[in-house]
Amino acid sequence: MEFLLENILNFVGFLVGLAIGIMSYIGFRNTGSPTLFRLTIAFLAISLGFFVIWSGYMLEDFVIKSGSIERGIQTVGIVIQTVGYFFIAFSHSIKSFFPKSNYFRSVGILPLFLVSTVQLEHIFRSISFILLVYGAIETMLSYRDNKNKGAISVSVGLGLLAFGEFLGWYSFVFPESMLYSISMIIKIVGLIALFIPVSKVPLKRIKFDDDLDKI
Amino acid sequence: MGEYRTQMKIIGDILSTTRDDLQDEDGATVTYLIRKANISHSRISTLLKTLVSQGLLERGDYQGSNRYKISQSGREFLQAYNSFTKFADNFGLNI
Repeated sequence: MEFLLENILNFVGFLVGLAIGIMSYIGFRNTGSPTLFRLTIAFLAISLGFFVIWSGYMLEDFVIKSGSIERGIQTVGIVIQTVGYFFIAFSHSIKSFFPKSNYFRSVGILPLFLVSTVQLEHIFRSISFILLVYGAIETMLSYRDNKNKGAISVSVGLGLLAFGEFLGWYSFVFPESMLYSISMIIKIVGLIALFIPVSKVPLKRIKFDDDLDKI
Repeated sequence: MGEYRTQMKIIGDILSTTRDDLQDEDGATVTYLIRKANISHSRISTLLKTLVSQGLLERGDYQGSNRYKISQSGREFLQAYNSFTKFADNFGLNI
């Protein structure tokens, strides 16, 4: 069951990340906007991260057949995804990643201390969690300004990915429970919520034009 | 306090004015664009030069004054700009 959900999650993550990454790239090519360039890097990294983990599971399933995914592959995939989440957070400005308050600084690095004795994978899961929560909050706050309902869906999507990341990270405390499966289902729903508003953006009749690159 | 506008937003405002909000069919004067796009003369002069050199605006001469009209490339750029503004809005970002 977990294996199947893991495959579905990573495949959906790969497709959603790739689709949004390509849309962002088309936008960057058409407008030259640095924001769209950062979104391109973010979503292509997220897509690549999911793809690496999905490939690891496929490799395990059809070639190695050891019963569990190679830990190194899983870690590399999560690190690449974290880079993507960083660029989403970075696009919202970096103010809460390097907060001025000493209190928030200490809270920001708290999860790193909590997992300092476990694997690198868990450290990056905790970083992803922080970045996703930040992205979700900033996106939700932006709704006040632009009243764009799509922002709510993206915010909920990022929030669900964060919650799923948290449950996945926390499930190592209760390895035999359903927590990990639930975390994957939540993440799949989050990815779908992320894609819904983006799929509604009218991109018809937009074409590449090299003359517009320099603007 | 006024809303911060990115350079891209200002360009979008200038192109929108020259497409949808012209005084007459001869094009918009610099003064008119300054008022509509709410931008200083020195800044709009640089932007207009860039937009004309990129082929997004066409400069014409009418009774001794420069007039600006949007070109076909400008219309395509503006359409892309509007679409991707909505796209970025979904992420709570400005392009």
